[in-house]
Amino acid sequence: MSAEQFIQGIIGGLAIGCIYSLIALGITMIIRATEILHFAQGELMMIGSMAGLSAMWMVDLPFVLVLVIGMIGGGVAAMLIELSIYRTLRSLRVPLINIVVATFGVSLILQNVARLVWGSEPLRYPSLFTSRGIDLGGFAISPQLIWIVVLGFAMMVILQLFFRYTRLGVAMQAAAQDPEAAQLMGISVKKTTTYTFVVAGVMAGAAGVLLGSLFFASFNMGFLVGIKAFVAATLGGLGSLTGAMLGGIAFGLIETFAGVLISTAYKDAVGMVVLIAILLLAPSGIFIRAGRRI
Amino acid sequence: MKSAAVRVFVLGAFVAVPFIETNSYWLHIFGVALIGAILALGLQLLIGMAGLLSLGQGAFYGIGAYVSAVLTLHFGVPFPIAFFFAGVVAALSSLLLVPIVKLQGSSLAVATLGFNIIIYLVLLNEDWATGGSYGLLNVPLPRIFGYELTTERDMYFFCLFVAALVYLALDRLVNSRFGRALKAISQDEDAARACGISINRYKSKCFLVAAFTAGIAGSLYAHHARYLNPNDFTFTKSIEILIMVVVGGLGSLPGAVIGAIVIVLMPEYLRSAGELRLILFGVLVVVLMGFSRGGIAGLAPMLVQRITQYRLPWQAKVSESREMK
Repeated sequence: MSAEQFIQGIIGGLAIGCIYSLIALGITMIIRATEILHFAQGELMMIGSMAGLSAMWMVDLPFVLVLVIGMIGGGVAAMLIELSIYRTLRSLRVPLINIVVATFGVSLILQNVARLVWGSEPLRYPSLFTSRGIDLGGFAISPQLIWIVVLGFAMMVILQLFFRYTRLGVAMQAAAQDPEAAQLMGISVKKTTTYTFVVAGVMAGAAGVLLGSLFFASFNMGFLVGIKAFVAATLGGLGSLTGAMLGGIAFGLIETFAGVLISTAYKDAVGMVVLIAILLLAPSGIFIRAGRRI
Repeated sequence: MKSAAVRVFVLGAFVAVPFIETNSYWLHIFGVALIGAILALGLQLLIGMAGLLSLGQGAFYGIGAYVSAVLTLHFGVPFPIAFFFAGVVAALSSLLLVPIVKLQGSSLAVATLGFNIIIYLVLLNEDWATGGSYGLLNVPLPRIFGYELTTERDMYFFCLFVAALVYLALDRLVNSRFGRALKAISQDEDAARACGISINRYKSKCFLVAAFTAGIAGSLYAHHARYLNPNDFTFTKSIEILIMVVVGGLGSLPGAVIGAIVIVLMPEYLRSAGELRLILFGVLVVVLMGFSRGGIAGLAPMLVQRITQYRLPWQAKVSESREMK
């Protein structure tokens, strides 16, 4: 493995890892607030990707605005699902496993609605940046990847600031930690739960635009990526935001280097073996201790 | 014995099906539904009885299907032996999961899902044995003691026979010491441990039994469909089995059978809806999840109770005024 391959592996792994992190953050937030394993998170990402692409078809927009529209798309979709389905299910007091199975139903609905609206062919994102690589001491790095890493990290920093310094963010964390105490402090847990879904959807929407710009957008792009983000969130310790972030990046790097070093056919399997091994050594994930504070 | 009478009646109804519906396409689908019922029964033991959320049953199903197909196709092994081996190999491969049974709730779900992805990739990439993405063609028809199951009706009856055996076996298991131990584990692990139940051993045994059932279901599928493709055994299959169990009703063996039949037949009946088919299916899954706690199996007694105890408005008033006096 040459130095060039190594650097490209790092950048590529970080880029795809940031995308996993953004989705895994949403999954973790939802688990913390409601204990629901949200298997439709990948589909929210797909909706965000499609929303950004559709906006770009209509008007020629700068990339940052496309990203914002993708985020709005993911957020609105998450809010609609939460208000119409999950809130109803919770108010019916069905067991948790019923809601988890319902998220598979939601995933199926979103995929097939998207197929009706955007067709079943993969859709190409217009090239967003100059395709000329950035020269880095003799070898070329795609600017696309660097932008994804920069924007992904920026989103995660903003999320942390939101949780630490805004009233709503603090309220959401309080409600997630102890719903009853939060309720007594005058926080509407019902509302913070909905906001949690919205923020998770916004993160997923951003991931969708970033992933779409890297490959394609298609109605079924979300399912496998969503599952991998789940694995990433578990890797980091389900329930810890820092864990989800680092887990996503770790999973992206593992996957990329496994593809280069071991075999492309088995690159997903390597990630899963690592997951199972880590769960055995530390059943609550690697980063749980680091993440407990946040 | 009321329950024995009910069982004989239900079995009779299943036996009567191929005489009422003779269309071989539908008989094929009914066979698939019975195979689904076997899968759902196995998972019901894991989730409904022991509270272990496993998303890896599709892997054992695939292992069973490929073992049975490869043995009969490449080695000329007779079907009954291949059928048995399919279950045994699936059960043995579940021993790989022994280290992870101690994981809790969602970690276990994600780990078993990872296991399913690994098995899928093996089936897809080891094409010297599995045919890779081309799949395995022309899996032979099952031949049992010199009698070849050539028609869809024969195959339906054989699937019914196996499903009934699995049902009875699991029913006995659930009502045994083993089943009671599982129930204790699912209710309170610490208390169960204090009572001297070895948690990890029971959980592993549970996985073993569920994997064996999935393995023989896979063997049935291989010789029923007669064509295998790795895409039939992705984690989507595991999720489908989970949906069957939860739709039918957690913790109920008849529920698992009902759920499997509903989930296999519903897309067929929705075929006329064309493009909207899968959307409707998703909506139905969501709606069924909200309907009742015990799935369809819990819904039926509730409806019966509602109907038998229904009071007309004036009757309700009468009884109220009586209470007042």
